[in-house]
Amino acid sequence: MEPVILLIVGYVVIGGLLACFAAHLLPVGGAPAAMGTATGIATGTVQIMLGAAMTGLFTAASVDTFTDSLLLVTLSGAVGATVMICVVMFMANIIYGFGAGIVPVSGRVDVDPITKEPQAPYKTPQCDGHGVPIVVFVSGSLGGFIGGFGGALMYYTLLNYANFSAGTAAIGAISIFVANAILAAYNIRGTIEGFHDPKFKRLPYALVASFAVSLLCGIVVSLTAILGGTL
Amino acid sequence: MTVTPAVVEEEAPTKKGLSFKFPPEETEMGIIAGIIGAVIVIFTGLPAVIKGVGLILVLLWGMDSVRKTSKYGLGTGVPSIGVLSTGYGVVGALMGLAVAEYGRVGQLYPAVLLGVIVMGVIGLVSGAIANSEKFIAMKIPRLERGMMELGMAGTLAILLECSIVTGSLNFNAVVNQVMNTGIIALMFIFNCFAMLHPYNACLGADERRERTRMCGVEISGLVCVLLGFVQLALGTSPLWDSVSLIVFGAIIFAVFFWKFIKACMDECYETVGTGMIKTIE
Repeated sequence: MEPVILLIVGYVVIGGLLACFAAHLLPVGGAPAAMGTATGIATGTVQIMLGAAMTGLFTAASVDTFTDSLLLVTLSGAVGATVMICVVMFMANIIYGFGAGIVPVSGRVDVDPITKEPQAPYKTPQCDGHGVPIVVFVSGSLGGFIGGFGGALMYYTLLNYANFSAGTAAIGAISIFVANAILAAYNIRGTIEGFHDPKFKRLPYALVASFAVSLLCGIVVSLTAILGGTL
Repeated sequence: MTVTPAVVEEEAPTKKGLSFKFPPEETEMGIIAGIIGAVIVIFTGLPAVIKGVGLILVLLWGMDSVRKTSKYGLGTGVPSIGVLSTGYGVVGALMGLAVAEYGRVGQLYPAVLLGVIVMGVIGLVSGAIANSEKFIAMKIPRLERGMMELGMAGTLAILLECSIVTGSLNFNAVVNQVMNTGIIALMFIFNCFAMLHPYNACLGADERRERTRMCGVEISGLVCVLLGFVQLALGTSPLWDSVSLIVFGAIIFAVFFWKFIKACMDECYETVGTGMIKTIE
């Protein structure tokens, strides 16, 4: 009985840390992006992360019905979340490009770290970048992959180690995921572009907070499994 | 470009529009809603209408906590605070349901309140970490208390909704009728919107607590109607119970929708111009 509890708590903590890390990689634009005056997708951190992770959970849950492999389930969750976030970023670029007539450009760096293309000359003065440029797209895809992996890991743990029913495991995983994403959102404060953003250096603070909250949530979930008679 | 001088603020009008002053203060609201909600959660044999009253009070408390927490401009968006509250609520409700059988007397489940307390502690810890200088350093006054109340209100709301839908707080009954049927997804969204929507819709320079709360009660009434239909669909309780909940929710929704619109209409004349924004030279 003991090792299973450690496994549950450990995997929930890892999933929470991955969720918090992934939220820092996403292109969060917030309200300024809705007006095309900031880089990223035009909503808050938690909403983007929740949308991606929930899609990841759907793919993970579908794969889980015919396999017991941890790696297969978590990777399918990661791929589902990545597809979701990529579609959203691509559609955002189409709307910004053909609807608003602005070029995707990063506001935080002068030269794209991946393609070495200049960014500053294309930026509208007094704006914080537009759309989803290449470095931000890569960062966002990575964020979706890691976040989906974390969400699916928690789902798999709750389903197969804590022996919850599928519905309970899914809603439990989403809830713990949200609690970690909000700590990341507190740390980000508004907008972030990805790993090249200066705000990304604040990541360790959020990881410490996320560790504490995930640990408590993991203990609560283990207690639920023991006292609820599923373990 | 000429800059229009800001309009001199006129004297505040003495008579505000429609008011809704129950209970007058945030702390009183928390205590009243917490105690009444906890008592109604324990007594699962009560008719759905009384649970609906408890649900409205608890959701109002949650809405108040969302307002309190996000009043200072977190930079994360108001919706995320409502989602956080519901997320904590689901984890706390699972914990409470797991221990519900211990110390059960007939239809009484006092042990479920353990989940509420545990979620209060987790909320307090996360609020303290978020506010602490050493970690995230949000430096928002009373963030700890806001996060604690969010966790507790979310847990009570989810427990009350489970209690309305299943008629008991037995772990297996809730898992079979709420979790496995997917009703929990509806509840998640109901709860989120009842808590986040009022402040998200009303925030701004002229936001007034009473008016925002009218919007909150109105949405809680809609939640009651929807839960009544869920009860009908699952067939877990007698017909009169569901129908009375639907009628009660519809009346609450109609009355407070009218009051909210009236208050908005009455107060919109007060909006004052502040002049053009100065352009940077």
